[in-house]
Amino acid sequence: MRGHSTAAAPFGKPPDTETVIELRAVCRTFDSDPPVHALRDVDLTVRRGEHLSIVGPSGSGKSTLLNILGLLDRPTSGSYRIDGVPTGALSDLERTALRGSRIGFVFQSFHLLPYRTVDENVMLAEVYRVPRPGRGRRTRAERAREALARVGLGHRIGFQPGRLSGGERQRVAIARALMGEPALLLCDEPTGNLDSENTDSVLALFDELQSQGMTLLVITHDDTVSRRATRRVRIRDGRLGQESA
Amino acid sequence: MRRTRSVAGRGRQTSEPGTGQHTRPGNPVEVVDAGRQPRARAGRRLRPDRRRRERPGRPRMDPRDMWSEALAGVLARPVRSALTTLGTVLGIGTLVITIGVASTAANQIVGRFDALTATSVAVTVPPPRPGSDGPPLVDWSGVQAVERLAGVVSAAALAESDGTRNVQVRANDVVAPGELTAQTLAVVAAGPTLPAAVRGTMVTGRFYDAGDIARHERVAVLGDQAARLLGIDDVRDAPAVFFRGQSFTVIGVLGGFRREQRLSTSVILPPTTAADRMGLAHVTQVLVNTSLGAARQVARQAPIALSPGKEDALTVVAPPDLSKARKGVQGDVNGLFLVLGFVSLVVGAIGIANVTLVTVMERVGEIGLRRALGASRRQVAGQFLAESTTIGLLGGVIGAALGIVVVVCVAGVKDWTPVLDLRLALGAPPVGAFVGLLAGLYPSLRAARMEPVDALRAPS
Repeated sequence: MRGHSTAAAPFGKPPDTETVIELRAVCRTFDSDPPVHALRDVDLTVRRGEHLSIVGPSGSGKSTLLNILGLLDRPTSGSYRIDGVPTGALSDLERTALRGSRIGFVFQSFHLLPYRTVDENVMLAEVYRVPRPGRGRRTRAERAREALARVGLGHRIGFQPGRLSGGERQRVAIARALMGEPALLLCDEPTGNLDSENTDSVLALFDELQSQGMTLLVITHDDTVSRRATRRVRIRDGRLGQESA
Repeated sequence: MRRTRSVAGRGRQTSEPGTGQHTRPGNPVEVVDAGRQPRARAGRRLRPDRRRRERPGRPRMDPRDMWSEALAGVLARPVRSALTTLGTVLGIGTLVITIGVASTAANQIVGRFDALTATSVAVTVPPPRPGSDGPPLVDWSGVQAVERLAGVVSAAALAESDGTRNVQVRANDVVAPGELTAQTLAVVAAGPTLPAAVRGTMVTGRFYDAGDIARHERVAVLGDQAARLLGIDDVRDAPAVFFRGQSFTVIGVLGGFRREQRLSTSVILPPTTAADRMGLAHVTQVLVNTSLGAARQVARQAPIALSPGKEDALTVVAPPDLSKARKGVQGDVNGLFLVLGFVSLVVGAIGIANVTLVTVMERVGEIGLRRALGASRRQVAGQFLAESTTIGLLGGVIGAALGIVVVVCVAGVKDWTPVLDLRLALGAPPVGAFVGLLAGLYPSLRAARMEPVDALRAPS
């Protein structure tokens, strides 16, 4: 681990506010016969404003790691703090609320609702959360348009997702993730369904977001994607290995 | 499971003071112990400050958002939603039509016999026991006591007997061979108020009055059928009828009987005359007409007024209870069609359940996405419930509207007055919504049970 690793810090000390993700000795075992050790003793720290990529072949535990980071799954053992909040003791409902408020998801298959306009898809990010001060229901549409403008899609407002190119769809999904003001943008193969041209446009957007201070965690098997990250972590057989960018 | 975890969680938090409450400035999200089951929370009511801080940690959804999400879900596949509502439309429509047509028809049937019988009361007096020479049960003047009762419009006493039921009556005294002029008619005695009591009118001439009765005049009034049989159509030349060897001057013909139609083939004599000459001394029946709605009360009071102390000896024929009659008619018409309506409602519910289940299965990816965006299981379930309820409500509204239109059309064709309970029209949409709610229970449970990890793997 690099210099900013907090591995040396004793567990239980309040983490500093610059750490977004802190995984400590996380294991995830699936109860099958024989048991599958999808993650073994994973330590990972992600600092605020970092662009981290996790690279690995299929079957290496990428998806399991993503599910745990996204609070969609629980580690079998070990601890996970996001934004300083320990998640091990939380109920399902609390994890759901935390997920909605801290994590912006970007999926390989975009997950846009085909029957809603682009703006409505972006606005969906705020449906399941307590409105923050100054971000009420009334100004939601306006803020959705701002988020779309931020990803360069100001001219696509009111469109149905079906009329957009793949790259544009992924940028809508990114706008939706940004709408929630997340602490972390969690991207799962964000360019897996895109051609090279659209990949470039999405990666350029990632660079831009990182320069604005957004924390990005990109899980991919594509080297061109991972090369854009400030830090690369390789995952193999459920173990993380550091790799410099 | 949840309990154990929550206890363990609290234990860990106490060993790590401060970490649980740790927040970053500008991100005031609290995750301490929030979102427990109500049972677990109940014990902590006494600490309101803590409860208030817990609240932001729960997923929360504005009801307007819930509604607009559900509506968008319904409108996403308009044709499918429309077809899904059909089942409820048919069910609710059948129920509204059945109940509406039944109440309209019942109103019509009841209305018809209202005018005829609902205001008619008849008191039958048993013949005096042979050998008893006490005063008769009912006196001719007793009718006046009945007339004074509240709700009585008209009343008349009538005397008939077996001996005068078949009397050979002739219109002249000449017996011509080969010509049958004698008619077999009944001879009755009646009070002077008879025309009003049978709701008849004088076809010609006049009815006898109190003076004729007091003078024991030998006059008679004929029923219109009797007059025709006897060939008497004019009384200006004072025709006479002959029976039992006596002659009576016909002074009028009574027709248009609305009740006691048998009197139209009878010869009606003043009571005094009949008692003198025909032995018809005792009142056998008192006819009473009441105003609408007074019949049952009059039926109770009339025997007492006629024969105080011996009212039990009299028999009263009163019209059936109107409300009972109406219910009876409705019951007959409704039964089968109500069952039909409920069956189609159940079929409609199954249809909604089916389609909602298909919709849930098609939208697995969407469910995963919503869970990723912070929707709780309950909110996901709530959305699908709201969608099925909306479809049910829509079916209820359309079904009720169609049903009302059909009832009005049926009434229009039959020339009836449409009768519709307002509660039926207002109650049908909620019933439809309830059906939708029930139908959506299982599919939304399926949606809520999905694990977000699995759901997100499905294409959106």
